[in-house]
Parts: sequence; structure tokens; C-alpha cells
Amino acid sequence: MIDSFPFDEFSENLTSFWTFGPEDSTGTYILTALGVILMVVALIGWVWLENRKLWAQAELLRAAGGMPAPGGVPPGPGPSQPPLAGPATDPGD
Amino acid sequence: MAWLLASVSSLIAQASDLEGQVSLDSQVLSEIFYFYTVVVMWLIHVGFMAYEAGAARRKNIMSTAMKNILTIAVVTPSFYYFGWYIYGCFEHGGPAEGHAGPSEVPGFCGLTAPWSSGMGPNLADHLSAVFFLAFLLFSWTTGSIMSGALIERVRLSAYLILTTLLGSAVWIMDAAWGWSSGGWLTTNYGFHDSIASLVVHGVAGAFALGVLVNLGPRIGKYDREGRARTFRGHNTHLTLMGLMLIFTGFYGFYAACLFITSTSFPGWLNIYGSFTTLGAIAWVITFGFAGGFTGGWFASKGDPFWTLSGGLAGVISVSAGADVYHPSLAYLLSTSGGMLAVWSGTWIEKKLRVDDAVGAVAVHGVCGFYGVFLVGIFAGGFPTGLNNVESSFGGQLIGMLAFFPLAFLPGYIVSWILKYFNLLRVPPEVELEGLDMAEFQQDFFPEFERVPETIVLPTGEEVESAPILLDAFTQVNGHRAGVRVREERRMR
Repeated sequence: MIDSFPFDEFSENLTSFWTFGPEDSTGTYILTALGVILMVVALIGWVWLENRKLWAQAELLRAAGGMPAPGGVPPGPGPSQPPLAGPATDPGD
Repeated sequence: MAWLLASVSSLIAQASDLEGQVSLDSQVLSEIFYFYTVVVMWLIHVGFMAYEAGAARRKNIMSTAMKNILTIAVVTPSFYYFGWYIYGCFEHGGPAEGHAGPSEVPGFCGLTAPWSSGMGPNLADHLSAVFFLAFLLFSWTTGSIMSGALIERVRLSAYLILTTLLGSAVWIMDAAWGWSSGGWLTTNYGFHDSIASLVVHGVAGAFALGVLVNLGPRIGKYDREGRARTFRGHNTHLTLMGLMLIFTGFYGFYAACLFITSTSFPGWLNIYGSFTTLGAIAWVITFGFAGGFTGGWFASKGDPFWTLSGGLAGVISVSAGADVYHPSLAYLLSTSGGMLAVWSGTWIEKKLRVDDAVGAVAVHGVCGFYGVFLVGIFAGGFPTGLNNVESSFGGQLIGMLAFFPLAFLPGYIVSWILKYFNLLRVPPEVELEGLDMAEFQQDFFPEFERVPETIVLPTGEEVESAPILLDAFTQVNGHRAGVRVREERRMR
């Protein structure tokens, strides 16, 4: 069975389907359609994911009970919040 | 006699072989040339990234840089699937006829659909792929031009949608109309913009202006009387280095705007098919920088940012006529362009009250239109294109009138739609804190101590920004309360 399978013919058909060539352009159309779909889905994904990130961070900041320090870091785990006013910490400290 | 005939026959065959070899060599030479212009043009995008990241405050560095990086991720596929086809087939305003299949469309148009033989591996075609790549790099440039104007408050995803539209539809439509040998503006009016003052820079600037109207200024940019404050970028050295990288990449950009015809004198054609030389345009670009730096320096009274931006503005001002200008004319005109960028940038910021973070509308938009305007004055009568249609002030004006709405309206309309759905701008809390924390959950200078952020008042005094921004935040937050409630309901 294995010996009788037309590997060469199968390989040629596959190649002509998925690559550029005069024999069969169906694969090219399919690849184009898949590429366009990926492009659109990626754009939608960027919008969706960023929207979630931004609103989650905004919620966190509001829940902290105060307005964020300009250029500061959020409350919670991580570096401590810098003061809104007052002398800057000496880098040498 | 038979010997003589055989010799002649042999000579003819050899000449034919030689002709074929020369033709192939010429194509391969063009292929190599355009490939390396693409390599050099990458520096434009390295430069834009450094330029804008340097102009951003510390809290917005990576969100600014990421826009430039992801421009490549979205414009590359969209330009491949749609943009190149628009350039190939929309020369007469709308799509060319006979589009039942790509094989039925003759000529260049037939090679631009993504499934055509010009858009994939093809041993018989040495040019289509490299031309596409050069234009793709121009497309990225249009996106990067807009990018800087919007920094520190635009959503990354909104920018990606807008840059896809600008890079893969808007600019390439105007290129089809006025930056190709068969475009209707070229063939009917002799529109002349040889190195893309307007079709790349002016159009990107006008599109950015349309977006900025809806995006609004950064929190704290204007005081209650509407006077402009100034934010200090976190690293002016990085900004200046970015500009110098852009300038380096511009030599590749200029070169990629020409065609090689190595078998005919003088060997080079501009985009319209008119003769020029590589040296001529290199002369103009170099004098463009010299004049632009000079104009920018004097108009801004020595401000480093505007001196270098003046160089960019100077080059853009002379690009449209770069194939015909004398170097001295380029020097004079680019000096005026450098000055115009400073003055118009100040006017846009202080009088129009549009917060363009890097002056892109002034440098690229105003000077892009100015460059085409100058060709109408100083190169009117110069034959443009394959049919030698004379360029004229009227023709240049028609191009400007066609391209401004073509660029401004899509930018305005799509950004308005994004704003309506609250997808254009980051929440005010996030803007105040800095976009990097929301987008990436980290500070990108973790080993450097934070110092209080500062802002320059309209009086010129530099003060700590926190009280000013918090006050401005309160105003903005009040205005946006309704939007936020709606968004919260939607999220629930």
C-alpha cells in the first residue's frame, strides 16, 4: 500500500497548490484570504486587549481612593508611590 | 560567401545574447539598488522611534516607541493586500476596468493584486517585489509621521487602526493620482512632486491634523485661559539622534524615488518618467538640510529641537522640485521652509490650540504643501511625465486642493468614530499616571530614581507639574464623567 502511494504526484500537487505557479492558483487565493482574516482579527484583538488593560488600570487607580500621581506608580505591589510634592529623594540615599 | 553569412549569423546571435544579458544585468542592478534603499530607509523608522520616545515624558516612553514598532506589524499586511493594488489600479481616480481576474488586467495594475504573479516568488520578475518594498517603507513613514503628533494620550490600538488607513489607503491613493506617470493629476495638469513633499509628508500631516482635532490636547497642556504650557521630553539627546537617523534614512528615501534606466542617458528617471540624476537630488537634499537647519535655528532663536526639525522641514520644502532645483535655490527655499515650520508650529500650538506633541503638522503638513506650492512658482513650465505636460502653478494648486480633503477627512471621520465609542484616547487617570504602567505594568528606567515631573508655564517658568496636572485632571474628569459611566456600564 505504502509502496503504491503516488508520493511524487501528491507532492507536486501539494506544491502547486500552496506556492505561486501557473498550474493552480486556488492555494494562493486561500492564503490571501487567511492573511486578510489574520490581519483583521489581530486589529480587533489589539483594540479588545488594550481596552481591558486600560480600564482595569483606571479602575485600580480609582479604587485606590485618590488620583494618581503624575508619572507615578500605582498603589499595591511594586515600588512605593512617590510623593506628589516635597523634596525629591537623594539618589545617593 | 557561405562563410561570410555564417559569420554574420553568428555575430547577430552573439549580439542578441549580449542584449539579453545587458537587459538582465540592468534588472538585477535595479533589484540590488532598491533592496539597499529599503535597508537604508529602515533608519527612518529607527529614527522616528528614538525621536518620539525622546520627546515623551518618562512615564510614556515604551507606549510611544511601541507605536512605531507596531506600525510595521499592521501596515505591512494591509499594504500588501490592499495598498499596492490601489497604487496600481486607481490612477484615474477609481479602479481600472476589467477586474474579473488579475490576468485580465494588463500592465502594472495586473501585477498588484495579492494573488498576481508580481506579488510572490517569480524568477522572471526582478522588479515588482523591490518596488513594492520601497513603497511599503514610504507607507510606514506616513504612519510614523502621524505617530509623533498623537503621543502620550492616544490608545495604541486606535493609532494602529488610523495608521492602517493612512499607510495602506489614504496616502497611496494620492500617490496613484499624483505620484505616478499615469495619475490623472500628472497627465492632466502636470502635477509635479518628484520626491513626495505633499504625497507623503503633506498628506500625513493633514491626516494627523484631522485626528488631533478629535483627540484633543494632553491633560494640562493649556491653562484655563487657553495659553500653552510645554512638557519637557525625557531625553532631548535621544530625540536629536532620532532626527539624525531620519535624515540618514532620507538619502535612501530620495534614491528610492528614482528609476534606473541604465541603457539610456542619463540613466535615471523620476517617478513620472522624466530624466534626472541621482547626484542632482542628493545635492538638493543636502542643501535642504543646510538651509533648514539655518532657518530653524534663527526662527526659533537657537532651540535645539526646532533647529533639527527645521532641517527636516527644509528638505520637505524642496523635495517636490528636487529633480530640477539648482542647489542654491534649494538652499534659499529650504531656509524659508525651516523658518515656516517654526512659525507655523508655534501658531498651531498657541493660536489654533492643537496639541501636536512633535510639531508634525507644521514640519510635514505645512511644509509638504509649501513644497508643492514652490514648484508652481519656481519650476512652472518644467515638463512632467511621459507626455511632457508642463507643470504650472494652477496644476500644483489643483493637487493641493485634491489632497487636503483626501487626507484630512478620513483622519477626522475615523478618529471621530473611535472617539464616539471611547476607543480613541486612554482614560484620564491612566494618562495622568503614564501609559507605560497601564500598557506594560512597568517603569522602563527601574534603576533610576524618580524626580518630580516638571512643566513649563506660558511665562517660561519651569515648575513641578503635579498640582497643575491634578487640577487639569479634575476639569477633564468632570467633562468625561458621562463617557466613563457609559463605558463602565458596557464593561459590566
